[in-house]
Amino acid sequence: MANELSKGQLVARGLLSQNPVFKLALSMCPAVGMSTSIKTGLMLGVAVLFVQVFSSLTISLFKNWIHPRIRIPTYTLTIATWVTVIDLVLSAAFPAAYAEMGIFIKLIVAFAIITMRLEMFACKETVSDSLFDAVGMGLGFMFGMVTIGFVRELLGSGMVFGYDLLGFKPLLFFILPCAGFFVVGLMMAFFNWIEAKYRDAREQKS
Amino acid sequence: MSNAAFKDITSIVIRLTVTCLLAGLIMGWAFILTHEGKEKNEQLRDEKVMYSILGYDKSNPAPATMAMHTIYRYVLTNGDSQSIGYLLPIGEKYGVVELDLGGQFVRQIPVDAVASKLRNEGERNSVMQQAVGNQTEIRYADSMIIVTNAGERTAYILDGKYPGFKTTIRVKMALDAQFSMLGFEVLEHEEDPGLGAEIVEKYFRGQFEGKSFEQLKSAKVIREDMPDDYRAALTGKITGKEAAEIRQKHVGDDIYALTGATISSRSVLNGNQAMVSKFHHRMTVLDEAIKAQGIQTPF
Repeated sequence: MANELSKGQLVARGLLSQNPVFKLALSMCPAVGMSTSIKTGLMLGVAVLFVQVFSSLTISLFKNWIHPRIRIPTYTLTIATWVTVIDLVLSAAFPAAYAEMGIFIKLIVAFAIITMRLEMFACKETVSDSLFDAVGMGLGFMFGMVTIGFVRELLGSGMVFGYDLLGFKPLLFFILPCAGFFVVGLMMAFFNWIEAKYRDAREQKS
Repeated sequence: MSNAAFKDITSIVIRLTVTCLLAGLIMGWAFILTHEGKEKNEQLRDEKVMYSILGYDKSNPAPATMAMHTIYRYVLTNGDSQSIGYLLPIGEKYGVVELDLGGQFVRQIPVDAVASKLRNEGERNSVMQQAVGNQTEIRYADSMIIVTNAGERTAYILDGKYPGFKTTIRVKMALDAQFSMLGFEVLEHEEDPGLGAEIVEKYFRGQFEGKSFEQLKSAKVIREDMPDDYRAALTGKITGKEAAEIRQKHVGDDIYALTGATISSRSVLNGNQAMVSKFHHRMTVLDEAIKAQGIQTPF
C-alpha cells in the first residue's frame, strides 16, 4: 500500500500543509498549556519528535501482527513505553533539562497527534515512509510550539528565548492559558491566509 | 460461543499479553540502564544546592574544616504514647535520643552505624527499628543537617514542603546558627509558568536572604512595586559592595509579591515561616536535652 508522496514531500507535509497544530488542530492541550515560552515549546517539541519517530517505527514494523480490534490499546502501550524510556534517559543523561520539563514529558502519552499518525499512517505504510512521516509531523509540531511560544513569550513577558528584549512586560494576559487559544487561532488564520495567497498566485500563473 | 469468536478472543489475549511483556521488558531494561545515573544526578544536585544556599561556589569554595552532620527525626508510637526519636551523631558513631512530646528526655540508645549507611532509607529504618525495639512503631518524619566549621556550629540545612497555589512546593533552606535565613532553593513546584513559577527566580528568593528569625516571623506579603535599587541589587544588575549595602537597607522590608502571583508569594512566605519556627522550637528543645544529659555530639 504505497503512497505517491516522495520522502521530502512527506516531511514537508507535516511541517506546512498538514501541520499538526495549525492545520490538523490536534494536540491543542499542550499547544495551549505549554507554549508560554520558546524554550518549553522547543523542549516539548523535541521530546514529541522522538516519541513520534520511535512509536511510528515500532508500529510500522509490527503492523502485520497487530490484531485490528486492539489497535488503539497497542498504540497506547507503544507510546507509553517510549515515553517512559525517554523520561528515564533524560533524567539520567540531561538532569538540567529534565528538571524543567520533567512534568511535561509524561503527558506525551496522551497527545492525540501521535496516536493519530499511528492510526492514519504507520499501520498501513512501509517502515521508511513512516519514518519520514513521523519526522515531518514531529518537526511540524515543534515548529508550531516554537512559533506560539515566541509570540506569547514576546508579548507576555517581553523576552525572546529567555533574554529580556523589551525590558518590560507588554501584556501579562498572553502568559495565561486562555491567551493560548487566541494565539493559536490567530496563527491558524495567518497560515491559512498565506496558503490562500500562495494558491491564488499559482492559479494566476497557470 | 462460536468457535471463531473464541479464536478471536484467544488471539487478542495472547497478542496483548505479548505486547505488555515486550513493553515491560523494554521499560525494565531502560530503568536498569539509567537507574544508577539518575540517583547519582540527584545526589549531585542535592549537594550543589546545599553548597549554593550556604553561599559557596567554585570561586568561593567551602573550607576544608567544614563538616555536615545529619540528624534524622522519627515519630515513635508505642501503644498510646508517642515520642520523638532523633537519630544523631554521638561521638564517632550514631545514637538515638528519645524525647517525649513535651520535650523531656526519655532515653539514649547507642547505635552501631556510620553516616554513609544511614543515607539509605531502608537501612536507616532497620537500624532505627532495632534500636527502639520491635514493640515500637517508627515513622520517618524528616532530616536536617547541621553544618560545622572546625567544631563551631555555622549553619542548618533543612528540607521541607508546603502547599503552593496549585500543588506542593518542595524547598531546601539554609539558616545560620542564630536562625537567620541564609537562603532557600525551590526544588520542585508546579506553579503557573510566567506567574507563580517566578518563585524560583533570584529576585524573589533573594528577598528572604539575610532576614533574621524575628524579621522573617513578622514579615508580610505586600502588593507594592519593589524599589528599583532593591530589584537591581537582587537581579545582579548592581554587584559587589553597593549591592550588599542596598540589600542591607531593605532586609527588614516585607516581601514584595510577584506580579500576578500574590497567592504563590504568600504560600512561600507562610511555608518558610512555619518551617523556620517549627525548626527553631525543635532545635532548642533538642539542644537543651543534649546539654542537660551531657551527650557528646560533634556539633
